[in-house]
Amino acid sequence: MMKIMSGNEAVALAVKFSRVGVVGIYPITPQTTIIEELAEMRARGEIDTDIVRVESEHSAMGVTLGAAVAGTRAFTATSSQGLLYMHEMIWWTAGSRAPVVMVVATRAVGAPWNIWNENTDFMSERDSGWIMSFASSPQEALDLTLQAFRISEDPRVFVPMMVGMDGFILSHTKTNVYVPSQEDVDQFIPPRRQPYVIDPETQESMGNIFQPVHYMKLRQSINDAIQGSIDVIKEVGREYEKVNPLSDYKTLNVQYKLEDADYAIVTMGAWSLDAMEAIDKLREKGVKVGLYRIRYIRPWAEQEIRRSLEDKRAILVFDRATSLGRAGPLYLEMKATLQSPMKGVIAGLGGVSMSKKDFYEVISNFIEEVKFGNPNKVEWYYPGEVKYVELGTPRSAY
Amino acid sequence: MSSLSFEYQFFPVSHPAEGAGGKTGNWRVVKPIVSERCIACNACFLWCPEGTIQVRGKRAEVNYEYCKGCGVCANVCPVKAISMVSET
Ligand code: SF4
Ligand code: SF4
Repeated sequence: MMKIMSGNEAVALAVKFSRVGVVGIYPITPQTTIIEELAEMRARGEIDTDIVRVESEHSAMGVTLGAAVAGTRAFTATSSQGLLYMHEMIWWTAGSRAPVVMVVATRAVGAPWNIWNENTDFMSERDSGWIMSFASSPQEALDLTLQAFRISEDPRVFVPMMVGMDGFILSHTKTNVYVPSQEDVDQFIPPRRQPYVIDPETQESMGNIFQPVHYMKLRQSINDAIQGSIDVIKEVGREYEKVNPLSDYKTLNVQYKLEDADYAIVTMGAWSLDAMEAIDKLREKGVKVGLYRIRYIRPWAEQEIRRSLEDKRAILVFDRATSLGRAGPLYLEMKATLQSPMKGVIAGLGGVSMSKKDFYEVISNFIEEVKFGNPNKVEWYYPGEVKYVELGTPRSAY
Repeated sequence: MSSLSFEYQFFPVSHPAEGAGGKTGNWRVVKPIVSERCIACNACFLWCPEGTIQVRGKRAEVNYEYCKGCGVCANVCPVKAISMVSET
């Protein structure tokens, strides 16, 4: 059944379908409507999930971790400063090997305050030991959330999983979403499996002090489980077709007009569709350019990326995030994977919008650069309306 | 199911055992004694910072080799079943 809904509503629906036992809720823009929606479902009696109101995001992740190690399917959602406030518990959850699912509606991180979209918050959790996927539409947000429970609870994995989506652009924009049936989801997601259960009866405890050798071994086991999850993700993706027959999750990442392309554009998230429109236009003019969309940051699909992109003449990577003092995180990852000439573009930070016209401009310029020299560099791109904005402080300190 | 091996799986779970600090020397001044009032609620097990208490059957048992005599167990016991007794 198709229904019109926002990304946040789609995620809430996925949580409902997954029969989640406990949700730790704390509001932060632009994620708030996910937990509001869940609270309303609970009030209407549609779900019997325990909704735990907490005093901070740190506690929200604490509740979720506690519920998970006690044997319940657990979920939470956050954004921006909230994600950073959770940072410690995110590592505790990963280190505990507790299958947990969290949705992050991405947003810029202050100071200064900015509630608009940027992926830096999400990208800054890359090292924490979670599987991390990123949606490009409300449909994908729903699909990936459902798959996240399957993937993270798989005995070959047992690592928590994060699903990112662009704040406001996906979280608040309504579009057509294919809604699966509860029966199909029940077939798809088996009863919860987890590596261990904390129960006073068995007198087991988790996360106690570990000797250096054990600690390092555990770290490696998390690393190996995340890398090994590539096969699980593909397997789950293939099986997901029974839930949503319109879907294609056979690979970790997604290609568009790439097979015969000379130049490849790499993006992640919602603006990939604007980039695709620009590519269509360039194709009309005979420019052979294609798109590679990153759907999984962790595990990093190194082989898949190499196979798809290694024969391309040059690669242009778009980042909606920064690793300040260096370059865009996606660009750095791509650089570490491929030897090809490569340019990084940092754009769209803090809600600056990138239209298909802007993509067209950046991509055309890049192709000129490749023809006339070395494209290897990082550029901060400002679209027309912000190109000439002067930076000024409201009141001078001097 | 694919042919992935599970060898890499390793979990941060532990069972109560002697504290990482090692055996207690002769400096302990008080030790906990569990009386039959114990209701086997597990609270002392949960809180003992040295992990030297285990509840076996109907009663909490203390491993005095490793117990540091801190008195946490006596304080958390809801039925006051543990008394701290002088060792000197
Ligand atoms: S006195 Fe302290 S160390 Fe000894 S059993 Fe009680 S809580 Fe543990
Ligand atoms: S806390 Fe008290 S009642 Fe509970 S197990 Fe320990 S000694 Fe027994």
